[in-house]
Amino acid sequence: MANFNVEGAQNVEISKKLPCEKPLVAQLEIMERYTAVHRSTDRQSKEIREVECLKVLYPSLFRRITDNDLIAGRTDFLPIGFGTVTSVGGVGHYCVFKKLRAFQEQLEEKDRKRVDALYDYWLDHDLKTQFNKEVLTEDTLGMFIDCEYPMIATARLSGMMLDYPKLLERGIGGLRADLREQLDRQPENDFYKAGLRCLDIFVDCAFHLQQDALSQMEQASAGRKEELRKMHEALEHIKERSPETFHEAMQLFWLFALLAGVINYGRLDDYLGPYLVADLEAGRLTEEEAYRYIHSLWTMIENRRTTVNGRIIVGGKGRKHPKEADVFLHIAMKVAKNSRYVEPQFTLRFDKDTSEEIWDEALDALGAGATYPTLYNDDVNVPAVAFGMRVDEKAAEQYVPFGCTEFVIQGQSTGTPNICINLLKLLTIFMNDGIDPMDGKRKNGPVPIRKLEEYRTFEEFYAGYKAFLAYYLDLSVQAQYYSYQLMNRYVSFLFTSLLTDDCIARGKALLDGGVRYLGGTNETYGNINTSDSLWAIRDLVFNRKKYTLRQLNDAMLANFTGYDALRKDCLACDKYGNDLDTADNLANDLYEFVAQGVRDRGIAIGMQYFLIVISNNQLNTEWGNRTAASPDGRLSGMYMNPANNPQGGANKSGPTAMLNSLAKFDAKYHGGSVQNIKFSPSMFNENRAVIKSLFKTYFAKGGCHLMVTVVDKGVLEDAVEHPEKYPDLIVRVSGFSAVFVDLSPNIQQELLSRVLYER
Amino acid sequence: MKDKHKTDHRLAIMEIERFAVHDGPGIRTVVFLQGCPLHCPWCSNPESQQKKAHLLHIGSRCAGCGQCEAVCPSRSIFFRDHHPVFDRQRCVACKACAAICTHNAIKFVGQTLSSSEIMEVILRDRDYYLNSGGGVTFSGGEAFMQYEGLKDLLIQCKNEKLHTVVETCGQVPYERIRRSFPLIDLFLFDLKHADKNRLKQETGADLDTILANLRYMARKNPNKVIVRIPCIPGFNFDEGTLRQLFSLAKEYQIQQVHLLPYHTLGKDKYAQMGLSYPHPYDQMLAKEDLLPFKAMGEEMGLEIGIGG
Repeated sequence: MANFNVEGAQNVEISKKLPCEKPLVAQLEIMERYTAVHRSTDRQSKEIREVECLKVLYPSLFRRITDNDLIAGRTDFLPIGFGTVTSVGGVGHYCVFKKLRAFQEQLEEKDRKRVDALYDYWLDHDLKTQFNKEVLTEDTLGMFIDCEYPMIATARLSGMMLDYPKLLERGIGGLRADLREQLDRQPENDFYKAGLRCLDIFVDCAFHLQQDALSQMEQASAGRKEELRKMHEALEHIKERSPETFHEAMQLFWLFALLAGVINYGRLDDYLGPYLVADLEAGRLTEEEAYRYIHSLWTMIENRRTTVNGRIIVGGKGRKHPKEADVFLHIAMKVAKNSRYVEPQFTLRFDKDTSEEIWDEALDALGAGATYPTLYNDDVNVPAVAFGMRVDEKAAEQYVPFGCTEFVIQGQSTGTPNICINLLKLLTIFMNDGIDPMDGKRKNGPVPIRKLEEYRTFEEFYAGYKAFLAYYLDLSVQAQYYSYQLMNRYVSFLFTSLLTDDCIARGKALLDGGVRYLGGTNETYGNINTSDSLWAIRDLVFNRKKYTLRQLNDAMLANFTGYDALRKDCLACDKYGNDLDTADNLANDLYEFVAQGVRDRGIAIGMQYFLIVISNNQLNTEWGNRTAASPDGRLSGMYMNPANNPQGGANKSGPTAMLNSLAKFDAKYHGGSVQNIKFSPSMFNENRAVIKSLFKTYFAKGGCHLMVTVVDKGVLEDAVEHPEKYPDLIVRVSGFSAVFVDLSPNIQQELLSRVLYER
Repeated sequence: MKDKHKTDHRLAIMEIERFAVHDGPGIRTVVFLQGCPLHCPWCSNPESQQKKAHLLHIGSRCAGCGQCEAVCPSRSIFFRDHHPVFDRQRCVACKACAAICTHNAIKFVGQTLSSSEIMEVILRDRDYYLNSGGGVTFSGGEAFMQYEGLKDLLIQCKNEKLHTVVETCGQVPYERIRRSFPLIDLFLFDLKHADKNRLKQETGADLDTILANLRYMARKNPNKVIVRIPCIPGFNFDEGTLRQLFSLAKEYQIQQVHLLPYHTLGKDKYAQMGLSYPHPYDQMLAKEDLLPFKAMGEEMGLEIGIGG
């Protein structure tokens, strides 16, 4: 069994969470109650145990309605509780030990012992700890996020997007009727029994929030009083009935999402649009009021602070109500442009029929520096998803990106990335006789590693590396699959299951055989560093024979100290991102090997799909910090390339060349691949028509996605200090354009000194 | 019709710039050809004037380590006070010094490429040109100096149905303009001064040749020409001169004139090439400085743009 630190950080947390509203002792009491219920229900089925535990949490954990909220529902999380993801609370019946310790330190001395008792109990019952105990190994597979390992694994249920259309259509009463009908046929089915009790919890929470609204009305201004009254009325309505207004529809979906612990919200335009339009047409709502509602929702999502989630998707193929959805889309686009929040991650799906008006709105928001919407090309992604996930076109049309970019089918599939693999770390281990140069530990498992001297051709070397990778790909699919088995042993994710096809029809929770498409994803890191490294090896060692593999590895072990000329040669080799067939073809070959290898293994183990995602959070930096120097010229400890983009500084041929490189990967083998591009505001906004055709051409050439950053002057100042971070920042100087960091310091100062005209 | 060129021309190139958006409409690739008949003292691309590989030494990066001296086979580098001195006449551009310099303080600009190699780069962005109303721009130096190669490239571009722009100083044999005219969709025609002597003295240009060429183009199709005036303080940046240049455009019925504000961005390159910057003015012009002249031109009935 592996050694792991139960108090290790379990996820990426950049946005600071709002502190819990309750006094410390009240928090402690809830956790004690939760633990007691968990303990006392250990003979019950997992479904009943889960719902009993949920009753401890809700409605207790609701925060008070905040002054500007137009719908109700904010929740707190404690170090012990129940959830689906690590970014809000934890997974299953969880204890986040590190946070529990921090909580303990805030308590008065006399209460601290009470925490110790909880800590000890949860050491044996925290779901993730259980997973770690059973799955992690000494040298190959580490816990999230331990960057010493070449691969890490976790148990979580990220990225669930529920079947909200069904929720809105059936209402709580309709779901209740469905469950009762099924229960009549299978009176012993605990999933149905527990599901019904979940709906009771929902009603209790609505009631709880109504009381809060009522109590706040006493002190409120006339205007606010009216808002609270509407809130009260809507909460009453949705306890049983299907929503009839935009407000009710929003309230229903939001409250359910909170209770399910999901943090991505699906195709809001399509499922809320009809309610919005009906209200607008009936005169119940003005467009300005609608804007305020949507802005309020944006704020509530922002306040959940999940760092990398909060997806809202608009546009694209397969919408049931495209006309009404577009009304929502247009208002949401304005909100996204004006609110400047990190979350929600506002996402535009489009295809060749998307209107120019929508394109222009999207570019306006991006040009204003919003970084939203992120752009997803349905003409590429729908057929790609159909192939990758082995579903028909109709199901594929319901794909939605979550988190950093991973795709799921809304209401029908799981897609959680429970594995991350560092391809570059594996290459450095492979080149160094199976020993990680970073810490001197052997990490090749049972795979025999040949001496570098034994490789006579590049093909032999590359085949050896692929064989080594294959071992890790085997581990990855086993760990992913096992994470589902383990979670299913303990929990049902009841709220999530109620709105996931085909749980109710089958009478099973989603990981128990209920979910229609059991999928998953595997995050790959260092992809481009690795392929650039392989190209450098091919070029320098085997084509030009300028160095031997041993010389190259010696230089890497020395972090190129004393090997300046060798490193210069490594850096000068062709790099991905410049539209060069040499480096790009090798990148594509490696991509297809890994992507197909992962996909084939997923199918073989019995999953609907298991796909790589080439995503983008700061793990490329953190893992790079613990990855040795590589043959592409990258230094030891340096960040690795972000997502599917070139290593910073490597792409020197302008945006068309980079986009051509990006478009070369066939989207059908991955489950999401982030493509970043960055412009200065003047370039982006003064050449809008050109930028638009740049994007459209890239998409027509097979580009699946773009994330666009338009950066302001502060970034230019930073670029003066850290030019290596900004190789492709294009600025308009006067009469010509230049890469900012290529300009001499005095020119840079001149650009900085110009008055910034706003609006 | 596919081209059936037997000869693959070799061209001296300063740079090929992809995603250029200021030298003609839409998304373009600009091919900067070397060689220029003029010697404008404000020239921002001094490495485009002569057809050769130029050694550029970036002093701020140089550590004075002496590796370049040691490796130079033609003995054209020697050290004085820990600084390298380059004998550029003697240098054969073998680039050994650039390869050895781990500080990246030496680079060479200028290379010889075949027209098919150039076309290969151009065609990689074909879809971007077609969708954006863009194409290919040949600039320089003076693109017409390498006429046979230029014509070859223009024909190949036309075979690919690409929009073509040539930027020219106009100091070009008339025959070349006449014969290539059907292959070029738009001329960016630099007009610098209306005083024959002043122009000759500062740049070496012959105004009569330039105006004859401009007249020819304008008679054939004035809409195929945009006049570009680099606004140079101390040379032509005054109301009288600009008015004269505007009048010329009017006279030839050319509608569009672009004013290019003077900048000193080429200055570093002079130092890197071991030259001193020949133009005495240091102050760059801002877009706002040109606004009164834009208004003046518009009053005269012209369309005036600022910048490319």
